[in-house]
Amino acid sequence: MKRLALSAVLGAVLMFAASDCASAQNTAPPGGAYQKVSALVALPDYLPGLGTLYVDPSTLPAGPFLAYDHAGALVSSIYMIPLKDMNAKKAFTGLKAAHANVDHVDIVYNAGHPGVAEPHYHMIVWYVSPARAALLSK
Amino acid sequence: MGSSRRDFMRAGGLLLTGVGFAPTRQALASSLSEGVERLTGAIEIIQMRSDALGSRVWFDPIGLFVKAGTTIRWTVRENVHTTTAYHPRNDHRPLRIPTTAVPWDSGVLVNPGSVFEVTLTVAGVYDYCCAPHEAAGMVGRIVVGKALGPGAEPFDYWVGAAGTADWRHVPADARAAFPSVQSIIARRRVHVAA
Repeated sequence: MKRLALSAVLGAVLMFAASDCASAQNTAPPGGAYQKVSALVALPDYLPGLGTLYVDPSTLPAGPFLAYDHAGALVSSIYMIPLKDMNAKKAFTGLKAAHANVDHVDIVYNAGHPGVAEPHYHMIVWYVSPARAALLSK
Repeated sequence: MGSSRRDFMRAGGLLLTGVGFAPTRQALASSLSEGVERLTGAIEIIQMRSDALGSRVWFDPIGLFVKAGTTIRWTVRENVHTTTAYHPRNDHRPLRIPTTAVPWDSGVLVNPGSVFEVTLTVAGVYDYCCAPHEAAGMVGRIVVGKALGPGAEPFDYWVGAAGTADWRHVPADARAAFPSVQSIIARRRVHVAA
């Protein structure tokens, strides 16, 4: 009985920790190893169409990059996959993801930018509707 | 940054005594620009462009013919860009500007409206690129007066020559994007097809 109670408490603690971690990523800054991309490379704080990006540098170039709107709410996870890696049939497995409900996904070619200075694809897992995503361009 | 500023000033070929050292490159550009306008009055603007998704990026015009002493002013319209001369001092790129010209590298211009200027005083062909977009083919070519110098040579003219072991090749998409020197001389301004 004591063991069962201990397990229940431990389970509850772990669930709380996981939920806390997930909710921590729902608002900027996400904490942990994530750093603001504009502090790592020469990019503006806010990227029109994407938002304010955070990344764990150890996961570059793929990411995820966690994107937040002007109010600091999580809007997407972005994975940046270089074209040359795709052409080389390189696999990217076990990529992290934010714990949020997915609304839709965009896969968009990008010519490059500081941080990933080569042609690549943005695979954008959106947690907001296309209408809300469109507001990020402002 | 200090090196870029030195390059910038030397590329301008101007005596900057009396010109204040502003804290930012953009402000420095403005200061130098004023001096240039007083001396020559010739300024050509090249816009640094991008579509909304960052999928398509280009210099406009991509090809330009000017007289010696003309100041080139690059202006960011969208996205983030650099203007970076093809020169071994710029990340081992091959020499594709006149041998006696001083290379430039703007560094990343982060905000729309940012400008960077260089005054080209040596005749010849000047090839340059946007560093983060070079592999995607964002390059430009300026002909100052005549089709002279390394920029008028084939892309791999230097292969096997002494002192070029660490030079890297111009990427394929960049090679394909350059307008020919002849077309620039004939048309004066070459724009990327819409």
